[in-house]
Amino acid sequence: MRGYKVEQLAIATVGFFWCFLMWFSTAAFSPSIAATYHLTIKDLGLLASSAIWMAPVGRIVAGWAADRFGAPRTFAAILAGCGLVSIASAFTTSYEWLFAERIVVAIAGVSFVVGIQHVAQWFDSHEMGTAEGLYAGTGNVGAGVGALLLPRIFGTDYQSAFLWLGVIALLVAAWYLVRGSAARTTERRDAARRSGDLRGMVFVWTRYIAIALMLAYAMSFGLEIALNAWLPGYFARGFHDEIAALGFSGVAGLQIAAGTFAAVESFNASLFRPFAGFMSDLFQRRGWTPLPFIAKELPYAPRLHWLGIALILITVSMIGLAVAGLYGSLPLSVATLVALGIFISFGTGGTFALVPLLFPDRPGIAAGFVGGISTFGGIVFPLVFAGGANLHVGYLYVALYMFVPFILFYFWAARYERRPQEHGFLSRSLAGQQA
Amino acid sequence: MNPVDIRVTPHEPWYKYGVAFLLFEMALAIAVSFYSLYMTFNGLGGFPGKH
Repeated sequence: MRGYKVEQLAIATVGFFWCFLMWFSTAAFSPSIAATYHLTIKDLGLLASSAIWMAPVGRIVAGWAADRFGAPRTFAAILAGCGLVSIASAFTTSYEWLFAERIVVAIAGVSFVVGIQHVAQWFDSHEMGTAEGLYAGTGNVGAGVGALLLPRIFGTDYQSAFLWLGVIALLVAAWYLVRGSAARTTERRDAARRSGDLRGMVFVWTRYIAIALMLAYAMSFGLEIALNAWLPGYFARGFHDEIAALGFSGVAGLQIAAGTFAAVESFNASLFRPFAGFMSDLFQRRGWTPLPFIAKELPYAPRLHWLGIALILITVSMIGLAVAGLYGSLPLSVATLVALGIFISFGTGGTFALVPLLFPDRPGIAAGFVGGISTFGGIVFPLVFAGGANLHVGYLYVALYMFVPFILFYFWAARYERRPQEHGFLSRSLAGQQA
Repeated sequence: MNPVDIRVTPHEPWYKYGVAFLLFEMALAIAVSFYSLYMTFNGLGGFPGKH
């Protein structure tokens, strides 16, 4: 098939970066939108949460479509569809229509799993971690770049921003269609197409290791998006006096400081992700398998160990965040948060260095399941954070009552020395596969 | 997926550029984090753009 793999990686990365820009451009301009339509705090909360509504189901569908129709067509359809609606939202004068249109534009976020499938179809196992990490990490930073640059370029003129983002999305879609190629060989493309059916989906969804990877991604990416939403309010309320003592007065000042801490965590979680994928490749190359119980003889066993280490580091950091908050130490809390952001990247990069290798004939379906269902973490975790006796202890509850069981399940699912992807809640025949 | 022994598979030329780029991204993250946190803990401002 035509194309060079680095070009395909670049196309997928640019496409994902632009989708992330469109996805989070609503949040970047929410103060302007709020001022234009006189939105209440509740309205703003609803607008913020609506960015994730389409992610769970959307990613599952997008992953299946990538296997069935190929990544270029699927990605181009997402870019073009969201681009057109973004253009439409630039001319809307009613808030109800704008809200609905921005939910549709937020569908751009489902493109993540399409790009994962695309990269998986082009790169070999020994470089999968670095390739997928570069794609996802560089693309993820679109949200941070959007927050940084869009208000500086467009000011309060969000209509122009939405218009330009939509027009350029159409150009990127055309580039994807013209230069994108679904797989390095027709055999790989056809294998994914053949396996991209409902039975294939049932098979993947019922595998223990797929569920374990989904929980691992909930602990990392799900946690990242939960913290994006939670941290500004947490620091503003939980460290109000400490932040005021730094010289930040009033609500605006508090928001600047609290927003900085949240942004630093998110920035590190994105920009260390390629390194996390590289570390997965390094573990694999050196054959490092330091953890007990997890398989040691599998071809990709070292990658399972790297991800296990990441999950443990995430859990320990969450406990540390609770302790720092209970001690009332803002510097310690921020230092722990920076570390947590980096460890989150280890989890995200480590997960998707594995997903394409465990399900090579169904990379889109597997990515859709792992990348889609895990986004529920973004909805559930803040509720648990807010449910504790005080603002700080919620992290401890999530760590002890959710993350520790997730890790135990991961260790249990990853212990098989032969084909862990064959073990699941249904036998192969019941899952619609040939025995 | 090719069943090769990846521990002896040499990297293709693109890999070193990929590693260089990811090191650049890490350095960027560290620099932005230090700058933002220095500004914030000295009451001078915050993450660029978060105003």
